[in-house]
Amino acid sequence: MVQINFALKEVNCKIVFYGPGMSGKTTNLEIVHQKAPESNKGTLTSISTDGDRTLFFDFMPLDLGTVAGMRTKFQLYTVPGQVYYNSTRKLVLQGVDGVIFVADSDPDKLSENIESYDNLIENLAEYGKDARELPHVIQYNKRDLPNAMTVEDLDKAMNKFGVPTFEAVAHTGEGVFPTLKTLAGMVLESIDRMDHRRKSPAQKEAARTPEPQRAPAVRRPAQSGAAQRQRQGQGKPKQGGPRRRAARPKGQKKGQQPRRGRGTPSGSRPALARQRRVAPREDAPLRRGNGGGMNLLIFLVVLLAAGIAGVVYFIMNNPEL
Amino acid sequence: MKSGGGKMSANEKLRFDRMQFYKEDIEKIDRILSEFLRLSGAKAALLIDKEGHMVTKRGEVRTIDMDTISALVAGSFAATKEIARLLGEEEFTALFHQGARDNIQLSLVGDRTLLTILFDDRTTVGMVRLYAGETAKKLGDVYAECLIKNEEDGGPELDQAYGDSAKAQLDSLFD
Repeated sequence: MVQINFALKEVNCKIVFYGPGMSGKTTNLEIVHQKAPESNKGTLTSISTDGDRTLFFDFMPLDLGTVAGMRTKFQLYTVPGQVYYNSTRKLVLQGVDGVIFVADSDPDKLSENIESYDNLIENLAEYGKDARELPHVIQYNKRDLPNAMTVEDLDKAMNKFGVPTFEAVAHTGEGVFPTLKTLAGMVLESIDRMDHRRKSPAQKEAARTPEPQRAPAVRRPAQSGAAQRQRQGQGKPKQGGPRRRAARPKGQKKGQQPRRGRGTPSGSRPALARQRRVAPREDAPLRRGNGGGMNLLIFLVVLLAAGIAGVVYFIMNNPEL
Repeated sequence: MKSGGGKMSANEKLRFDRMQFYKEDIEKIDRILSEFLRLSGAKAALLIDKEGHMVTKRGEVRTIDMDTISALVAGSFAATKEIARLLGEEEFTALFHQGARDNIQLSLVGDRTLLTILFDDRTTVGMVRLYAGETAKKLGDVYAECLIKNEEDGGPELDQAYGDSAKAQLDSLFD
């Protein structure tokens, strides 16, 4: 979850490298740490076993610098890939803003890739997040393997949401930065589109009215992976750099227009990356109830006073009574 | 120890999900933390959100790598939460790490932040725990106030140029 701290003038985002065991998540982070400018990176911390397998997570902060007066930082984490570490993997995913899924191009690891990707979707769902809405990319790592699967086959097998994909050889550094750059851009875009920025004065006014009227005003349709991909795919890949694939959503034919996201009407602007759920205010009915009761009480008191005044007036005008 | 703000309502939780902290809110929190340090004799107090981002800090913290300690504290707390769950507890609301020289006391504040207190032998764990409890409660109350106020007022927003500037910064960092 993005933290915006106006006192410290900081924006903090959490990015997680996810994927099956030994797919190259920690290697990605180590390369980022090696190659990032000294002034932008913090310490790389690993909680790992004696055999250098990630036990809990690896962590390093990456400082983007000051953006429009706000110091913007990415906290980069990896998760342990082995299946039996799911509980710790889930903990690291808490509050995540973007995910880089590092897949292994070895054909023997395909089922592990698919299992891990499904596990990501499942774990996100446990935090109430829909993988289609969360900024994420897939990196096909170990492209230097002689028997590496083709990117087309990997796409067919894994890329069910049509997210941006990258080819990489993480241990040489190839493809590591383009993957991170794209994901970081997607996360920053999602911040930029946060609903508080998009509120018009009329919407702000609506926010002050009781909740039943306010809820629809701040609701936003969800953004699909396809919509993200469409935006991300607008720029051309750099010459000589790792190939960034304009992956198609599953079942979509070449040349076919990308499918619009769920809840995104055709022709409308791309929806927000984060859907803000709005629940009715718990105290609103109570306050309305109290207001109505108070009015009724005042009315009864006035009625009673008028009645008493009438009786007194009647008695005074009829001394014989 | 019970959490400072007690149980948050679903509505409060929802507003807190935005994780925005405004200057005047942090000033109030800083005052409470400074008062805590004065009373307890602790070295430093940090407020960290559960995602591992620091919210604010007071005391002797200049030599500490804040980003890393925030991430590790949040990870440590998250791990103990899982242990608590396995034992049938919702979560442990306080944790204590004892070292030869320095110690750390963690207290849950509200639902989303952790009060992290660093102290040494200039004070005692009893003093720290006593005042930490009161402080967590005060901070919980401040959160509740801020949440309501911020929801009504909207608070400041990121600069309109943020998106474009961020893109330019990304280009300069990665190219």
